[in-house]
Amino acid sequence: MSDDVLVVEGVTKRFGAVTANAAISIRVRAGEVVGLLGHNGAGKTTLVSQIVGLLRPDAGEIRVAGVDAVAHPGTARRLVALQAQGQVPLDGLTPRTAVELAGRLRGLPRREARRAAERLAVELDITEWIDQRALPEGRGLSGGVRRLAGFAMTVAAPAPLVVLDEPTNDVDAARRRRLWDAVRRLRDRGAGVLLVTHNVLEAEKVVDDLVVLDRGQVVAAGSPARLASGLDDGLRLEVTLPPGGDDPTPDVPFAVRQRVRAGRRVLLVVPADEASPAVTWAASLRDTGVVDGYTLGPATLEDAYLALTESTGAAGDELTEVTSHA
Amino acid sequence: MREQTAEAPAVPTDGTTAQPSATVGPWSSYASMVRWNVAQVGSMLPLVVVVQAVLAAGIIVGFGLVIPDIDPATALYLSTGAPTVLLMVVGLVIVPQGVARARTDGTFVFLRTLPVPRLTLLLADLTVWLLVALPSVAVAVLVGELRFDLALSPDWPVLLVATVLVTVTATSVGYAVAVTLPPVLAQLVSQVLVFFVMLFSPLTFPATQLPAWFRTVHEWLPVQPAGDLLRAGLASEVYSADARDVAVLAVWCVVGVLLSLRALVRRG
Repeated sequence: MSDDVLVVEGVTKRFGAVTANAAISIRVRAGEVVGLLGHNGAGKTTLVSQIVGLLRPDAGEIRVAGVDAVAHPGTARRLVALQAQGQVPLDGLTPRTAVELAGRLRGLPRREARRAAERLAVELDITEWIDQRALPEGRGLSGGVRRLAGFAMTVAAPAPLVVLDEPTNDVDAARRRRLWDAVRRLRDRGAGVLLVTHNVLEAEKVVDDLVVLDRGQVVAAGSPARLASGLDDGLRLEVTLPPGGDDPTPDVPFAVRQRVRAGRRVLLVVPADEASPAVTWAASLRDTGVVDGYTLGPATLEDAYLALTESTGAAGDELTEVTSHA
Repeated sequence: MREQTAEAPAVPTDGTTAQPSATVGPWSSYASMVRWNVAQVGSMLPLVVVVQAVLAAGIIVGFGLVIPDIDPATALYLSTGAPTVLLMVVGLVIVPQGVARARTDGTFVFLRTLPVPRLTLLLADLTVWLLVALPSVAVAVLVGELRFDLALSPDWPVLLVATVLVTVTATSVGYAVAVTLPPVLAQLVSQVLVFFVMLFSPLTFPATQLPAWFRTVHEWLPVQPAGDLLRAGLASEVYSADARDVAVLAVWCVVGVLLSLRALVRRG
């Protein structure tokens, strides 16, 4: 029996004239975390909605643990555990009850569901709030605790495929680490995990493979190391412009492979042997006040990702968001 | 009207923990979903009962003021019509508003991603709304008793069946409105339905006061049969209902359930 827990083959989904997914193919094996990266609107959530049978693809095939998810969405849903991007509707429930109910819905006996709730509360460090009721209008439990409870509900009972859509939104740094540890444990126990995110820095820490979506199309796929090496021995030169200052980077005295601008910051990917002229150029501009500052370092996966998705024009907006986590 | 299902792969015996635990029994799924829904609307329940009491007082006391020197027969008619008004308001107004909110805040989508058959989702929802609506009858009768010295003659089996049938019909029709129309439109329609039920339906006044064409319309709508049936259950010595009332209600009930189920199963 194949160890594929998710096979997406040529899936296309259109909404009127807009093609949200264009012939997308993705594979997740048991014991593997695959990151699905893309800007807002790249088509990630549309794809997830088709995997769990909320939307029907116009073309293509989706198999979850061997089951045709397009023909048998009800059966497929029993094999996928999804943490959706929106908050789980917890109002009126405590995290303990919510996780127990989620476990029961996936077939855990009562006692095991109870144990799962307690174990996950410890793993995610939310025992303090486990018996605190979530109330309407976001009262009772913070967004971070709600998100972690949603994650615990998703993984309370074993499922061959776990889909996590931006699971760390609203979660503090210490508990994010705990969540990623929990994801690694899921993988080690043999689940296949599809991690949907636009946060490349976080994805890099946990994924085995990455699929980059841009405007509904897969523009790259492979391990993080392989994707980053797409820039070979490139270096990243990041230049910060003064407020209202002109951008001097279109006209530089050295070779540039990629150039992405986000507000006052410009990211240049330059070949390693151009490091010296690049630094000389940047230092002189800083001395004359044309730029506020600069940094030079090895090109990262994030740079590769931005280079891959730059054509959308949305890259600039995203750069600001991504690098703020650095 | 159900999604196709295939047999899930058998659980392997190699000790891997990434396989689904077991097939979940329909009863277990249903019980878990009812618990979930009760927790969600639980905090709202006391408020709903208060609203029902205020509405009942509004109908029985308020309409009583409109009619000077109200005679016992009119008082009985008014008081036995009030429970239907309340059940219809819960089913056609409170349910659509609750469902429309669930659609707007993502609850509706979340529930549909769970490994629970669509029919179970709907039944669990209907069960909870039934629990919310049931106090209506008791509240309305209590208010009627307090205001007028009513001579009720309950036919318990009829009353029980009528209450459940009327509530499930109103709730499933309300649910269907909420899941079929866009949320904003659903809320608007539910507001209009309040007026229709309270002012233009022969629940608090006899059908004979309506123009003939409107009487014919009401023979095919669920409101009047619901009123007749509940009245016959509350004051069996004075009022009677017939099989046609049950049939009309049952048809509306089935249509409501089928439309709701279609919306739950549908994939865009």
